[in-house]
Amino acid sequence: MRVLVVEDERKTASFVRKALQAEGFAVDVCHNGDDALAAARATPFDGIVLDIMLPGRDGLGVLRQLRERKNATPILLLSARGEVNERIEGLNAGADDYLPKPFELAELVARVRALTRRSGENKSTLLRVADLTLDTVTHRAQRGEAGIELTAREYRLLEFLMRSPGRLCGRMMILEKVWDYDFDPGTNLVDVYIRRLREKIDANFESKLLHTVRGAGYLLKAQP
Amino acid sequence: MTIRTRLNLWYSLVLCGVAVVVIGAAAYHELVIEKHHRQHGVKSETELNNEDLLDILTWTVVPAVLLGVAGGWWLTRRTLAPVTELTDAVEKIRESNLGDKIPRSGNGDELDRLTEVFNATTARLADSFTRIREFTLHASHELKTPLTVLCGETETALRDESLTPPERERAASQLDELRRLTRIVDGLTLLAKADAGQVALKLEPVWFDDLVRDNFADAQILAEPLGIQVELAVCEKIAVRGDRHRLRQLLLNLADNAVKYNQPQGRVTMRLRRSGDAAELTIANSGPGIVPEKLPRVFDRFFRGDPAHSPSVDGCGLGLSIVQWIVSAHGGSVKIESVPAKTTTVMVRLPAGSAE
Repeated sequence: MRVLVVEDERKTASFVRKALQAEGFAVDVCHNGDDALAAARATPFDGIVLDIMLPGRDGLGVLRQLRERKNATPILLLSARGEVNERIEGLNAGADDYLPKPFELAELVARVRALTRRSGENKSTLLRVADLTLDTVTHRAQRGEAGIELTAREYRLLEFLMRSPGRLCGRMMILEKVWDYDFDPGTNLVDVYIRRLREKIDANFESKLLHTVRGAGYLLKAQP
Repeated sequence: MTIRTRLNLWYSLVLCGVAVVVIGAAAYHELVIEKHHRQHGVKSETELNNEDLLDILTWTVVPAVLLGVAGGWWLTRRTLAPVTELTDAVEKIRESNLGDKIPRSGNGDELDRLTEVFNATTARLADSFTRIREFTLHASHELKTPLTVLCGETETALRDESLTPPERERAASQLDELRRLTRIVDGLTLLAKADAGQVALKLEPVWFDDLVRDNFADAQILAEPLGIQVELAVCEKIAVRGDRHRLRQLLLNLADNAVKYNQPQGRVTMRLRRSGDAAELTIANSGPGIVPEKLPRVFDRFFRGDPAHSPSVDGCGLGLSIVQWIVSAHGGSVKIESVPAKTTTVMVRLPAGSAE
């Protein structure tokens, strides 16, 4: 997987590069819009992390140019403004995702991963992680032989985690996909729901499936 | 023409009128006496003169005084009318309409000059307000880049496998504080933008009761670990015209506050009902409450109602300011009532709309 990071702020570019490299991505970095356009034309990337505020041609300009040239590389927009209008503008211009600054690194990595594997997403109606299954048609969850009762919100949270097993899911991403919140509510809503979900799917079992990564997020996987 | 000249002119006119009446009456009386003399010859003149004097006084001085008072009253009212107008106009000045100009008469008198000075003053004030707003907006933008770097570096440090547990704990705790700072900066940016009128609401018909029920479910979950009971006592079906995301933010902020500023094993009661042409939501909790003298300030930015409780409660100090902005942006109103150590009730009123 090869990713292009377009960010004029050197330090930000540097730790984003390090974090993505640590996750096994090959990372190229550009510091302005024109270089980014040239790089995207020369190399087929699997994803682009694009800052909106760039010297010269800005991120939205780069995005529009790429889409005009029928370049469909998945793009994650970064913005220091974090405005709802800007988010809509970006997504309308053809961005695949949007992350306002200051972001959490784990969040960014999780989103880039989701972006680059979007086509390979699990579309099946029966999701399975170890002996935990979730039927997305009947909304029935089962661990081993035991059925699990879930509220609507718990179901959505579990479905979201099970659609990307073994992958770290950031708090903001969960709030966005499960709650449809476009703001950070500053509550521990996600932690409390995760705790409840954990009681339901892990409490009576030897092997735990739902894990917390301190300062980063949550993931569902068979082995700790 | 200045007010002084005008006053002079008008008052001399009135005095002339009074003088004419007095002189006229005296002349008429003189005529009557002469007639009398001619008919009856000269008699005891002094007797007659005393009576005449009284007559003259009654028939001339009383109307003259009345005329003077009426004229003076009319005169001052006429002269002070522009001052009253100006006072009314100045009274209407608020932070939101500082840019509006008070209409000038254009006749160059003292009051016209005063209006001009007022307009210039409010223009300078408006300018200062804009500068403060821009400063807050720029400051919060400028803070975002270093915050991104700090958060990123700390997260990168946390990924280092060679960290000892105490080091890891320190870095994680630093990250928690950085996130708190991030939320403060986010809230500040939102409010600064709202002040500058830069936040566009996406208004659409929304079933408010659906949002309230949804929020009730989240509130129950938030309250559960603290042993707090949440109750949705009334939830009438009602639609409002609003921005779904902002309304949910409003509800979550209020529910979160009601749970956070509560006592262990406390209660939260939510009610949504139609009241006239408004949707009225009340959220009451059994918290320590807010003392009356602090109540008017609870919507102020970074205001803490109960300093003794703030260290344990992890808020950004902007929640209620954001609530107030969301409510007023929807044309509604919000108020808080509190009986210390008993209950605190937040009441939100939003104009009801149709669901179509």
